[in-house]
Amino acid sequence: MNSDAPEAAMDRRSFLRTSAVFSAGVAAIAAGLAPLRQLGKFTSVDEFVQKYYKELTPEEMKAVLARIEDEVQRQYGIRPHVRDYKPMNGVEYVYALNLTRCVGCRKCVHACVAENNQSRSPEIQYIRVLKMPNDGTFDMDKGDHNYAPKSVPEPGFFYMPVQCHQCKNPPCVKVCPVKATWQEPDGITVIDYNWCIGCRYCEAACPYFARRFNFAEPSIPKEQLNLNMSYLGNRPRHKGVMEKCHFCTQRTRVGRYPACVEVCPTGSRKFGNILDPDSEVSYILRNKRVLVLKAELGTLPRFFYYFDV
Amino acid sequence: MALDLPAQAMAPNRKSSVVLASLTVAFAALAYSFYEVPARPGRIDRPPLIKPDALAAVPGTIRISAGQLIRSGGDVSGMDCYACHHKESPPEIKVDAVGNIILPKEHSDLIISMRNCAECHPPNDPVKLEYDDSGNVIVPAAHKGLLSMAHGRSLRNNNCYNCHDRDQLDRLHTPEGASLKFEQATLLCASCHGTTFRDWNAGAHGRTGGYWDRHQGPMKREECTSCHDPHAPAFTGLIPMPGPHPLHPLPPRPETPGNDTHEL
Repeated sequence: MNSDAPEAAMDRRSFLRTSAVFSAGVAAIAAGLAPLRQLGKFTSVDEFVQKYYKELTPEEMKAVLARIEDEVQRQYGIRPHVRDYKPMNGVEYVYALNLTRCVGCRKCVHACVAENNQSRSPEIQYIRVLKMPNDGTFDMDKGDHNYAPKSVPEPGFFYMPVQCHQCKNPPCVKVCPVKATWQEPDGITVIDYNWCIGCRYCEAACPYFARRFNFAEPSIPKEQLNLNMSYLGNRPRHKGVMEKCHFCTQRTRVGRYPACVEVCPTGSRKFGNILDPDSEVSYILRNKRVLVLKAELGTLPRFFYYFDV
Repeated sequence: MALDLPAQAMAPNRKSSVVLASLTVAFAALAYSFYEVPARPGRIDRPPLIKPDALAAVPGTIRISAGQLIRSGGDVSGMDCYACHHKESPPEIKVDAVGNIILPKEHSDLIISMRNCAECHPPNDPVKLEYDDSGNVIVPAAHKGLLSMAHGRSLRNNNCYNCHDRDQLDRLHTPEGASLKFEQATLLCASCHGTTFRDWNAGAHGRTGGYWDRHQGPMKREECTSCHDPHAPAFTGLIPMPGPHPLHPLPPRPETPGNDTHEL
């Protein structure tokens, strides 16, 4: 109210004007940054300073696994078993799929979703089953993965499930700018979900359409969560990271078959150690007619299609 | 406002006012752009997801022989039914007065094989077969629903005594004359399907489970009759489980290969 100070640098009018402009500016900044409040949880400090997977000491790994168990417990209310399963010595996994027997029932797709804690909404599936016309052309362009007849198999078609081929020369690993995906000694190409930056280069590089991106925060019903989790495998993912088939590391690295093998009602899916001459995959590669998908690309898949008869 | 004031009074503060005003406009525009995006209607328009009930209604994945089911004593938790059933609460098996398993509606495509003839027929009293004009066995009315004679695609293997022993109905016999128990049916199948038996022995035919690493645990195998009905061994159709859930309704698929192949 003091208006009798004409010599002051700021009169009432300019004070009001400046303060009005200033407060409007502050309000605009606050409004502009308001969406940050909706970011929700921030990355914890421990997660932010976590070291690269291959540089973690066993003690540090233990702390990381405990932290992930805490995170899952906070989110789902159940405490899982998260373990870091290491590859076995003298083991290289190979997958064989019998195109003569596969009937396209998609049991494998859903067994995989249940085993590996994929997001139910939005839906993520590692396996795509292609319905292909049995006209001798083997033209991938004619494949249809949205078939929904009353009963399968339909006459005149064969069915070709496609999933990660665990290539020996994997293009997805080459393009990763942060080395968040790599090939393990047992042949499984894995992803560190804490290291992935979500650039999706690997998705573009994969010729088998095997990699999936979490466009939204994954959601899994609490009672459907598989509590047997592995760090490089089926622990819950976050929004913005890649994921893909990892041959069920939480099962195969303790000697069990992957979920898709166990569930297949026709026995089309075969899995085993190619370095063991007595394994069924060794028998198949020795005795059956085998097909490698897109062999001309030189990716050297560890996933083989074969035929009976 | 500021622009209406005389030029002399404004001179020292004009520059900063303009800067502040333009910043205000910039931030207001930023705020507007943030708030506009989620407000746009129909931006995320997903069709509803398939209900879990729909998945649970899909019929059984495997065929279980009656013997296996009865021996399980109601605990079929080791039989890989988890796609629908929960491990902690295995389904209760209901049996009718005669001892046959009553199949629930959702398992109507489950085939119970390995019926024991001797339940009704005295083992040492051979059943006389009757043939129609084209040489096929006439299946008696009492066996309707139990048997469908469809073994072999062209030359139907339709003579009961090709496999069953005429004089001992609780036993089987191979064409070479070896007498086998019902539990040894796999060897009987092998007497004709040698190549398949070879594959099965190597683990390359048939359903497997358990452990690939024999040092860690056993590999779970199925006998021929666990999956195949010996009287009609060819697989009947299965109901496919739901496919990938499209973000947008699918366009009708063209008859000729179209251009929508970018996904694979």
